Amino acid sequence: MLSWRLMMRVTLVFVAAITAATVGQVVLAQQFTPKPPTAADWAALAKLPDFNGVWETGLGGGGGRTGGAPPAAGGAAAAAGRAGAPAGAGAGRGRGGAPAGPALTPEYAARRKALQDAAKEDNETANCLPQGMPGIMGQPYPMEFLLTPGQVTIVIEAYQQVRHIYTDGRPLPADPDPKFHGSSVGRWEGDTLVVETIGFSPLTQLAANTPHSDKMRIGERFKLADPDTMTIETTITDPEALTAPFVSTRTLRRHRDWTLAEYICEENNRNSVDQNGKAGINLASPGSPKK
Amino acid sequence: MTHTLKQTVRAAVVAVGLVGGFAAAAAAHHSFAPFDMGVTKTVSGAVKTVEWTNPHIWVWLDVPNDQGGIDLWGFEGMSPNFLGRRGWTRTSLKPGDKITVTYRPLRDGKKGGMFVSTKAPDGRLLSMQGGQNPEP
Repeated sequence: MLSWRLMMRVTLVFVAAITAATVGQVVLAQQFTPKPPTAADWAALAKLPDFNGVWETGLGGGGGRTGGAPPAAGGAAAAAGRAGAPAGAGAGRGRGGAPAGPALTPEYAARRKALQDAAKEDNETANCLPQGMPGIMGQPYPMEFLLTPGQVTIVIEAYQQVRHIYTDGRPLPADPDPKFHGSSVGRWEGDTLVVETIGFSPLTQLAANTPHSDKMRIGERFKLADPDTMTIETTITDPEALTAPFVSTRTLRRHRDWTLAEYICEENNRNSVDQNGKAGINLASPGSPKK
Repeated sequence: MTHTLKQTVRAAVVAVGLVGGFAAAAAAHHSFAPFDMGVTKTVSGAVKTVEWTNPHIWVWLDVPNDQGGIDLWGFEGMSPNFLGRRGWTRTSLKPGDKITVTYRPLRDGKKGGMFVSTKAPDGRLLSMQGGQNPEP
């Protein structure tokens, strides 16, 4: 009797284990599997808005971008607090003294103030570390959009970076590794490419001197304002860092006669920043070792 | 009178353009911290070489010193990518060219700074906004 019950238990455990393994396989099987593109998939690209080619954002002092929070104030606020801007530059106040930039929670406002007070002369981009998202989208260099079945690829000249936006219907990853450009999926809503990105490296910043939490989410809406003008409306949410969505808009111009150039930051980088934020310049004679 | 006004406006436009260009350059890669951006100086010499490289070009100048010798000065400009789309080429300045460089000096007093502009031997103004044809 006793041994019978024990056998039943063992059997039940086995059944449970097998069931769990089977369910696990089913879950795995439900993971997204990209399909090979068909001729129809390639032909369908011709019906999408013409994003292909080389685009450049406006230049100088935050040109080409307006930003702020809440969204209703976005168009009027100046482009203060641009991600990737040097320490202490342009943070806090917009044109006419109006508050601009992201609306931070007390904790993140304190963290930003601490970074500002540290008054670092420069940040790691001086050592050739790329900005990551969202700063990489605002560099004074062009970017090239490539549309292929199931994917939009943005090749960014600055720091020779690339973003992969999957438009094949896959979901965002449930637990992505933190990355400089995060993990992106996109879909077409009419003529607008709507992109959602999550999972950012802690080495990237929400805005100048402004860290983000691991819950930061970036939404982007790409569309053509006219045949050679693209607008990108960017909405950043972060339940730990922001009290309201941080919305900004960039305008890009297409340059049909441009090609992307090479940008190897380490080729001859004579700028630097040390661990204390002290900026340096290396004047070693050209051709000699820079040490 | 009108001529003077026109010149003033033109100078102002150039000044604003230069500041905008520098802001863009800094946002791209590094801050102005090593440079005294409130000071503009000039120095004359002969081009030793131009490093037409990323992330910035460097113009190296042989400058005669008070002791009868030659000092090597270095000036950081924008990137070949940026300037190459705006009228500069890697041979806009050639070794041996006698030029006067307008620059923002290094704060540490070393021989060099941030390149602002120069007039190339062919008369073109080479600035961080690009290369422009000589004034008519």
